[in-house]
This record gives sequence, C-alpha cells and structure tokens, in this order.
Amino acid sequence: MTEWLRWTAPPAIVLSLASPVYAEQYLTVEQAQKLAFPSATQFVWSPVVYRPDQVAAIEKLSGEKVMSRGEQVWKAQNDNQFLGFFLVDYVIGKHLVIDYAVALDLNGSVKQVEILEYRESYGGEVANPDWLAQFKGKAVHDPLDMERSIRNISGATLSSHHVTEGIKRVLAIYEVCLK
Amino acid sequence: MKSASNSLRRARPLLGTFVEIAVSGGRPAEMNAAIDDAFAAIAEVHRLMSFHEPASDLSRLNSHAWPAAIAVHPWTYQVLELALDLHHRSAGAFDITVASALQALGLLPRAADGVAPPPAAGGAIELCADCHVCIHHPGLTLDLGGIAKGFAVDRAMDALRCHGMPRALVNAGGDMAAFGQDKPVAVHIRDPRNPLAVLYRSAIANEAMATSGGRIDPMRVAGSAGSAVIEPRSGQPVCAIAGATVRAPTCVVADALTKIVMIMGEGSTALLAEYHASAMFIAADGTVQATGNWPETVHLAA
Repeated sequence: MTEWLRWTAPPAIVLSLASPVYAEQYLTVEQAQKLAFPSATQFVWSPVVYRPDQVAAIEKLSGEKVMSRGEQVWKAQNDNQFLGFFLVDYVIGKHLVIDYAVALDLNGSVKQVEILEYRESYGGEVANPDWLAQFKGKAVHDPLDMERSIRNISGATLSSHHVTEGIKRVLAIYEVCLK
Repeated sequence: MKSASNSLRRARPLLGTFVEIAVSGGRPAEMNAAIDDAFAAIAEVHRLMSFHEPASDLSRLNSHAWPAAIAVHPWTYQVLELALDLHHRSAGAFDITVASALQALGLLPRAADGVAPPPAAGGAIELCADCHVCIHHPGLTLDLGGIAKGFAVDRAMDALRCHGMPRALVNAGGDMAAFGQDKPVAVHIRDPRNPLAVLYRSAIANEAMATSGGRIDPMRVAGSAGSAVIEPRSGQPVCAIAGATVRAPTCVVADALTKIVMIMGEGSTALLAEYHASAMFIAADGTVQATGNWPETVHLAA
C-alpha cells in the first residue's frame, strides 16, 4: 500500500440508483405483535379516536404535535388475561416516512419498539396531504418494489430523532386515552 | 421477516439512528432470538456510552472520574483502550476529548455549569487496573461518538455468531459488518456533498465498513450537511475531505479510522496498514482517492 489511486467525481451526481425512494419493509403488524407479546393468543383491535380535549392533553403532556385523528391500538391478551397494549404510529419528515410499533407492558412502559416500514422520499410530495393519504391504512401491507430499493446504505446517518419524539407522544396517548 | 425464504430483516431506533439487522439460513424462531440478542447488545452499548444519558459510563466519567478513578463496564474500558491507542498512533488526530469543539458548534449539548473544558491532552486519561478509569484534568469532556457505534456493531455480530447464524449483516446508520455471505453484499455509499445521492457502489463480505462525512438529518433541515469530524489542533470541522469510507476486520476500527482518514488524508496510509484496513475518501473538490489495497475498482455511480 504505497500509493493512493485517484479519480475525479463529477461535481453533482444524480443517478437512477438514488431515485425515487429508498424504502424498506421489515415487519408486518402481525409479525411485530407476535415478537412483542409471544405468549398472546389474540390481539383485540381497540383503535382510539381523539376528542378535542384529548388532543390538547396529549400535546401538552408530550410536547409533540398530534398529527392524526386517532391511533391504531391493539390489546394483547392471553385468553382473557390482559398483557399490554400494542400501538402502531408513524412519523413524517421532509424526506422520510416511518411506520413503527410500540409495545407497552401492563404498567404502560415501553416494552419494545420496532420499525415496520421506512421510506425515504426526496420530492416535495411529502408536504402534500393527498400523497400522505395513500399510506393510510395500507402502509404496512403495501407491496414495495423491492428490486428497485437500495439496501445497505453507508454514509450520512439518518437520525432517529423523530421516532424518539413519536414515542413520547405514544406514551402520552397511553396516559390520556388508554390508562 | 417478510420474505418467503429463510431470512429476516428487522430495524430499531438505537444509537441515535436506525439499526438494521438481517440474518438468513436459520429457523425463524432462532433467527428472531438471535436478532433480539443482537439488538440487546447494541442497546447495552448505547446505555454505557451515550453522551446524552446521565447514567451512562461516559457521563459518569465526565462528571466523576476526577480526581479519583471510577469503575466502568469492561466494554467501555475496551473502547477507551482502543481510543487511546489510536490517539497515540495517529499523533493526536483521533481524539475523544474534542467534545468541547462539538459543543461549541452546537453538535453536543453543553454541561449544565457551562464551563468550557480545556483542550485535549493525551495523557489526561489513565486506564487503571480492574476496569477503573481516572481523568487527570478537571472539566475534560470525553465523547465516544466517533467509535462507539462501530463497537456496538461488533457486539451485535458476536451475538449473532453465538446463536450460530450462518449469515448476517448489521448496519447501524452506515457503520456495518457482515459475515457468512457466499458472495459480497452490495453497499451503496452516499455522496457526502449531496447525501441524497449515491456516490459509489461497493460490497462487503466477512468484514466491516464504516463511512463518515456530511451529516444529514432528513427529518429536519434541508442542506444541513457539514462535517461533524473535528481537527483536534484547530478545533474546527474538517473541510478538505468531504467523506471517508474504511474497511477493516472489525467495525470499531473501521469507524474510528474514518475520522483519522478525514483528518489526515493520505497521511493515514501507515496507520491503515497497521490495522489491516483499506480506505477511500472524497475531497471537497470531487477528487476520489483509494488506498492501493482497496479491494475493487471504484464504480463511481455516475
């Protein structure tokens, strides 16, 4: 290793590899539920729809903005024994949409957090509510074009800051609506 | 966990980024147990070496290791040993005491008392017997951000090997390692000057790779790219080199060496050889350079 080899990269590289999105689907809701509560025999769908006063209370408690009208919630049960809550939440940033699941134990503390699905998007479309609407309800099962997605990206780190903030909101939802 | 074949891929928010673990070749229950343990190992490293958690070993070192030594976890001790070794061998280029410069740039929070720590001093950290560490310089602030992530990847790899996983890949926000692959796994490396684009393709198998360079937080500010690597002598961010990628036998070494390559550039040749590593970097002017032992022709993604 006596000398370094040298190339010159074009000043602005834009290529098909990076567009349109880097997307990854990890777990379905069902898979994440089983991982979080292996002993559960059923997950009872118990969605929350917020009243206006609850929105205010959640925002006050968490310091985070409430972005949707309700939350996807399941009760994990082993026969009739209640084991904890399972919530699916999402966070949105300028270039990123993340669906993630939070499992809460009987005391309402975080038992497990798993990323369900992760999409990077580099257009202006994230600001468009119609574009967001397409992810509602079907996000987890939406088949992605895996062949075109880029895996194993190295370099500039993606921050998980927004998920951390989202978990604060989930804990406030528990306090205000589920406890 | 999605695919029909016997492979699993899961991700959790850890180490301030997204940690992805992929395994294949095992039974689903075994693979899930292995991934659980690998995530637990990473969470443990996070707990020990976080700058932000008041109860971490690192925070305890920063607040209590002067004037008397305190005990730390063997993993923290191991990371400090390597960090000090690299500090000496790189003539000070690798420095875990640049936290004050990061604080000045707003990349790390300041201590509550707001006292500016003194500049780096090589002999200020003493590793004593029985995993005890003493800091001989009041107010010195350590930050393991340049090395702990790679160490966490290595501990996750250990956990996956312990479970007998035939093939695995761990990617902690760009610090990654893989074993057991029949053929190298493709890796795409972002252009540090424009992190939304891919600079080049590479591949790894049975080794680790780490990349440092432009920061990006896609959820916050556009165009926030800028180096978080500090030149210890000036206390300023590195700007001649925009990004560096290092391959090495372990991820902790690859992670730390990326900082040294960004600071020393071609001057890091001997050190890379000592650690059986190879490197490539891109200068701010677009010049890409790779060590002679970089294992493949560079496929610039243009």
